[in-house]
Amino acid sequence: MKKKILIIISAAIFLVSGALSVYLYNKKPDGRTVEIISDGKVLYELDIENESDREITVEFDGRKNIIKIENSDVYVSDAECYDHTCMKMGRLSQSGVPIVCLPNKLIIRYKEGGGELDART
Amino acid sequence: MPERKPDIKRLTELSLLTAVSLIMFVIEMQLPPIVPVPGVKLGLANIITVYAVYNYKPQEAALVFTVRVLIGSLFSGNVTALIFSFSGGVLCLLGMILISRISDVSMIVPASVIGAALHNIGQIIAAVFVMNTTAVISYLPYLLFAGSIAGAFTGTCALLVIKRIRPPKD
Repeated sequence: MKKKILIIISAAIFLVSGALSVYLYNKKPDGRTVEIISDGKVLYELDIENESDREITVEFDGRKNIIKIENSDVYVSDAECYDHTCMKMGRLSQSGVPIVCLPNKLIIRYKEGGGELDART
Repeated sequence: MPERKPDIKRLTELSLLTAVSLIMFVIEMQLPPIVPVPGVKLGLANIITVYAVYNYKPQEAALVFTVRVLIGSLFSGNVTALIFSFSGGVLCLLGMILISRISDVSMIVPASVIGAALHNIGQIIAAVFVMNTTAVISYLPYLLFAGSIAGAFTGTCALLVIKRIRPPKD
């Protein structure tokens, strides 16, 4: 009986998270507003469609991340950290998955509709 | 000192396990990431953690895990990762020790999957505090999905190891 429960729980974790991942990955973002969050604070809110191509430098603890806006798309072009995961994550529009730089506490994501105001305070 | 002998044997075994898991950790460090999502990796070193949970006392498994994580972070020079490894690992270890108590070795793969999921949940909890925002929670489904595959893999590996090695049961 315990065995059955364990198998069911593990299978459920796999199936539910798998289905949810596929759903979230293919979901169209709510809007075209992109947030750049550093250490819990929203630094920029960009209306990505009407944004001209430019570079934004975000600094945390002396380490810089260079964020590039290009053809209504956002990506991290350079990062002063040890793994450069955020650079490898590519462009934000490829999927709705937020770009995260853990060491520099940076998140770039599509803004979700409502309920996110408390993140700013 | 006849009664000291098994202690030293045990200590040597635990040291050996720690060394093996560290080697796996270092090898995995050299591999390119499978998917560029922070926190997603195979966790080869956890094969040893799973093996230790099923063949040694809980405190011994915890010891192997703690030493591996501490020395591993020295090897990688990655202090941020230490926070995530610990928060995830502790939760995973507690869950797996509990499961190993209520079931036997045949349930090692599901146990490992549940352990991996607990590991991911611990990672995300740590990330919420480190990043100072709840935005990272949106990563949880991806981590859980990748984690359950990685957990099934490490669990299977640990099962193969246990089948081949007859450990001294205390």
